[in-house]
Amino acid sequence: MLLRASYLRPAWLGVCAYWLIAIAALLALLSYASPSSWSVFLTDPYIWRLLRFSFWQASLSALLSTVLALPVASCLFHRRFLGRNLLLNLFAVSMVVPTIVAILGIVVVYGRHGWFTSVFGVSFPLYGLPGILLAHVFFNMPLAVRVLMQTYSLIPDGQWRLASQFGFNRWQGYRLIEWHYVKKALPGLFLLIFMLCFSSFAVILSLGGGPRSSTLEVAIYQALRFEFDLNKASYLALLQILVCSTLAMLVYRFAPKVVQDVSVFRGVSARLRSGRLSLLIDACVLLVVGLWVLPPFLAILMPIASALFWQTMLEPALWWSVWHSLRIALPAGVLALGLALSIAALARPVRWRDWGERWADGLEQSGNLVLMIPGMVLATGLFIVFRALGIGISNAYWIVVWVNGVMALPFVLRAILPSVYQQERRYRVLYEQFNIVGWSRVVLEWPVLRGAIAQGLAYAVLLSLGDLGVVALFGSKGLQTLPMYLFQLIGAYRVEQGGCVAVVLIGLCAVLFYGITRGIGGRRAEL
Amino acid sequence: MSFKSLLLATSALAFSSLANANTLNVYTYDSFASDWGPGPKVKERFEAQCDCDVNFVALDSSVGILSRVQLEGSDSQADVLLGLDLNVMQAAQKTGLLAPHGVDTSTVTTPDGWQDDYFVPFDQGYFAFIYNSDTLETPPTSLKEVVENQDLRVIYQDPRTSTPGLGLLLWMKSVYGEQADQAWETLAKHTVTVTKGWSDSYSMFLKGEADVVLSYTTSPAYHIVAEGEDKYKAAAASEGYYAQIEVAAMLDNAPHPDLAKQFMAFVLTPEFQNTIATGNWMYPVTDNVEPLPAAFADLPSAGQVLTLPIEQVADKRKAWVNEWLDATTR
Repeated sequence: MLLRASYLRPAWLGVCAYWLIAIAALLALLSYASPSSWSVFLTDPYIWRLLRFSFWQASLSALLSTVLALPVASCLFHRRFLGRNLLLNLFAVSMVVPTIVAILGIVVVYGRHGWFTSVFGVSFPLYGLPGILLAHVFFNMPLAVRVLMQTYSLIPDGQWRLASQFGFNRWQGYRLIEWHYVKKALPGLFLLIFMLCFSSFAVILSLGGGPRSSTLEVAIYQALRFEFDLNKASYLALLQILVCSTLAMLVYRFAPKVVQDVSVFRGVSARLRSGRLSLLIDACVLLVVGLWVLPPFLAILMPIASALFWQTMLEPALWWSVWHSLRIALPAGVLALGLALSIAALARPVRWRDWGERWADGLEQSGNLVLMIPGMVLATGLFIVFRALGIGISNAYWIVVWVNGVMALPFVLRAILPSVYQQERRYRVLYEQFNIVGWSRVVLEWPVLRGAIAQGLAYAVLLSLGDLGVVALFGSKGLQTLPMYLFQLIGAYRVEQGGCVAVVLIGLCAVLFYGITRGIGGRRAEL
Repeated sequence: MSFKSLLLATSALAFSSLANANTLNVYTYDSFASDWGPGPKVKERFEAQCDCDVNFVALDSSVGILSRVQLEGSDSQADVLLGLDLNVMQAAQKTGLLAPHGVDTSTVTTPDGWQDDYFVPFDQGYFAFIYNSDTLETPPTSLKEVVENQDLRVIYQDPRTSTPGLGLLLWMKSVYGEQADQAWETLAKHTVTVTKGWSDSYSMFLKGEADVVLSYTTSPAYHIVAEGEDKYKAAAASEGYYAQIEVAAMLDNAPHPDLAKQFMAFVLTPEFQNTIATGNWMYPVTDNVEPLPAAFADLPSAGQVLTLPIEQVADKRKAWVNEWLDATTR
């Protein structure tokens, strides 16, 4: 009933378009599947070994990233220090660093002749599980910190004032206030990182030390590209979806229910008592994180000092690829935001109603679906659909935009849903009483939601900017993005120049992130 | 701002679809089409004689070219595929999408000469392990030494995801035959890592992570010609080098069959072949070319070259990849 309101029609349109295209893409691929032959794959011991290893490394990576992120987020929330904003900005771009660049950065720091060796005299056991975890935490811990920071912004200021009056120290504050908010974000966060690591590919192969460390994604790539075995590819994709969604169901089953707080008043922030111990702990935590994340970043940014960097900046090809990247990333970001807002608009009215919880959960989950489907599988499916419809490959641009937008959807959802629910919880009665719907609600909520919306958009744009997989499948001269340009350089022996392009990519990401979060989120936006 | 870019993008797309009707679409891999690859020169020289536009569609790898065409099937807009290699020829031909080229290939200088109705070779290279002569005093002189010397830190590419990786698989098979699995097991003990593609492993090698890396005999030539650096050398292989030959093919449903035919013949002319050495860092496949830079070692003589019959490769590839997997994950 609630969902039939006429003002929700645009949202339905968005959600239906999303479902329709996703299902069509999957069905297109499945039309090549012959499940009767799957028993052959089912008995392949290698696939099961892969699965076991993927599961193991993804769980460890996700656990390590979230556990490390907990004290960091708390420290960054409570303390203001020089370089804090820089650190937060750096954290935002960490996940879009192209894997090959990150791997090279890590090799410079931890490799045989790396900084680690020259400082400690012994070399780091880089190849194998340690290397994989090192890289995965490098990519995902910053993401975890940012997601947790957002949770912190949901804690009403009144609680801090009260805590301050009671003379809470940091530990008491953490136990009695923060933990109750943080723990609700943890299951989703864990799942997000788990899935990202589960389907990680180049990192695992490069730092894994041999085919013993490998993931299902490698097998999918092999089936799709080398063998062009769509049957096997769809089997493997389904297997991946099965594993991930089983885990998702388990996690949500045992996860604490999301209960949103009503108050969002933001006043003067009140400080908690901070003793020497908490200072010491904060310092240690920052040190660990700093030593983990910063050196590879420094190694990646080093080319900025070279003459080659400035030569590279003068290449027209570089700026063309910047333009192509933008013309994919910006529309993809807007698309992701539009889809996420549609899902949010449909999920919010039914949340906290007797029959609606499941509905809302389902809607949220459907947005996460794409994390489980490998992007390449999605893109291939769409390709087949487009071909069947006779639309042709000249529309590759739209496929790339669409797939990128959809792949960013889970991140955008995570960014905007908490704030949207908060608004719903707070004003639902008023909205219903005065029949405030549609556009007027948007106008009313904009000042509060703009921060979250900006975050979501920024994430989506950055993710699409860093994408390589999808665009490479459809590559053509007209769609040469910055990451592709970088790969071409490295593929043609120009490793140093590739490093310079990586700096440009990171710089562009940082500028876009800052610009979007400030421009749309407003000056008060939390970084 | 994003709405504006959407508009711009739309108009850019609309514009691109109005391109010259006389456009030859060539699917190739990205480094061939890139500004520093042979692509731009090839385009310029062919356009000078064909009264047409050449449009390179750059895919991510040679396998990418094939899977793209397989996806598009008979609707493909491609006229010519440039950059398949020996080991995917069989698969490409089986798609039934290719047309015979009708080009005289008697001048081709590949190891055993060339007879094939569907494919015209355009360059050739030889897999080799590259080492840094400043840091490695006693380089290996054979594949066997690379496999058996436990002090040698080796990086190579995954045969499931990369062409050189597949090349090594076949090289090992042609040297070791039935004993290949034991050889792989021995090699695995001193392998640093196995990467997804050539770029990852070669750049890790340049950062000093390994003593030798799987690449091409022509890799040192790049460092000499482009960087003036002569410390990188290709290790000798007394058993023989495994060959990689890259080929072009035209499509049966090519929108411009005449242009495609003309291009297939153009591939073997000096205008095309002269762009290969310092553009693609491979050897040309004909004799009538400008002399190669001194940095290029002489082509291995016919006796020094190993190849397995392509039919056998097509039949056994899956089994051999599994053998490699088994042996290296034991």
